[in-house]
Amino acid sequence: MTIRILLVDDHPIVRQGLRTLLEGREGWQVIGEASDGAEALEKASDLNPDVMVLDVTMPKMNGLEACRLLRRQSPQLEILFVTQHDSPQMMREALDAGARGYVVKSNAARDLLEAVEAVSQHRAFTALNSRDAASLR
Amino acid sequence: MKLRILLADDHEIVRRGLRALLERHEGWEVCGEASDGREAIEKALQLKPDVVIVDIGMPHLNGLDCTRQLLQHDPHFKVIVLTITDSDQVIREALDAGARGFVLKSDAARDLVSAVEALQSKRMFFTPRVNDLVLAGFLEKGHAISRNEPPKLPTLTAREREITQLLAEGNSSKEVACILNLSTKTVETHRSNIMRKLSFHSIRDLVVYAIKNNLIQIELPPPTKTPAGPTAA
Repeated sequence: MTIRILLVDDHPIVRQGLRTLLEGREGWQVIGEASDGAEALEKASDLNPDVMVLDVTMPKMNGLEACRLLRRQSPQLEILFVTQHDSPQMMREALDAGARGYVVKSNAARDLLEAVEAVSQHRAFTALNSRDAASLR
Repeated sequence: MKLRILLADDHEIVRRGLRALLERHEGWEVCGEASDGREAIEKALQLKPDVVIVDIGMPHLNGLDCTRQLLQHDPHFKVIVLTITDSDQVIREALDAGARGFVLKSDAARDLVSAVEALQSKRMFFTPRVNDLVLAGFLEKGHAISRNEPPKLPTLTAREREITQLLAEGNSSKEVACILNLSTKTVETHRSNIMRKLSFHSIRDLVVYAIKNNLIQIELPPPTKTPAGPTAA
């Protein structure tokens, strides 16, 4: 199955790591990268990806704000947060903003492929490390 | 003969990115990876890499203390520290620890190859801010880095710093004992000494100390529920 993915993170080295992982899956294509929320909105509009992998903390416009705007701009786009924040509150906020998935960066190498697959099929995928995460699942 | 590099960062996704970046360079190989400072020391002693790249914000043992301990084992290790901030204090600590390269994580894709090349040519590599600080210190005080920070709290030993980090990360004395292969009683003695030396009365004080002194690094969440529109995160 072909999945067209847009990567959004302010650290190029993280984007590189995500790209190597995602491009290992046959048929999956990283069609573009952005380094902040404003650029993510532009690229989503230009490239029309199936899935956006989105960081929370970024300059200019953070991922939560971008997500809220993307829900209106590109309603068919599925959004998966990949973030440093291992917090049920942050996860709740991300889902409220319209994301379909939430993965903690420290577990990205383990969870990312499964999460992208799930959200590309419009299924939710959330995974935290914290002990109190169960309440949100 | 290839230049052998050891990577230490707690995020596998970052290690993947660093590996992809470094292995594009002909003649370089990533000979090993570690996910915390303690593992980095073990792997460095075992693999004897030419260059060690360590993230500052790692669990169990942070990159600065990892650098100090590595160079105590063998002063010939060449260490580049990766950091999310180049505050004066972090710069000073990295230089004090003996790092020969200092690269901001956000600029790693641009600067890391240059940093490794510098170390390969027996030079050092620092960000422009580090160079400015070193130069300012040199101009002000001869060969020392400017030190106009407030007086420091009593110095902790390497073991006490390690235990402080582990306690501040939320581990109990028993868990710290297990990680460091010590008895719980020994850890509790260290804990009492640390609290006494620093005149602290609660673990909260210790957590604040650990953050202020870069034993642990935290990333703050963006402001919540702000109106739509560009903001600094």
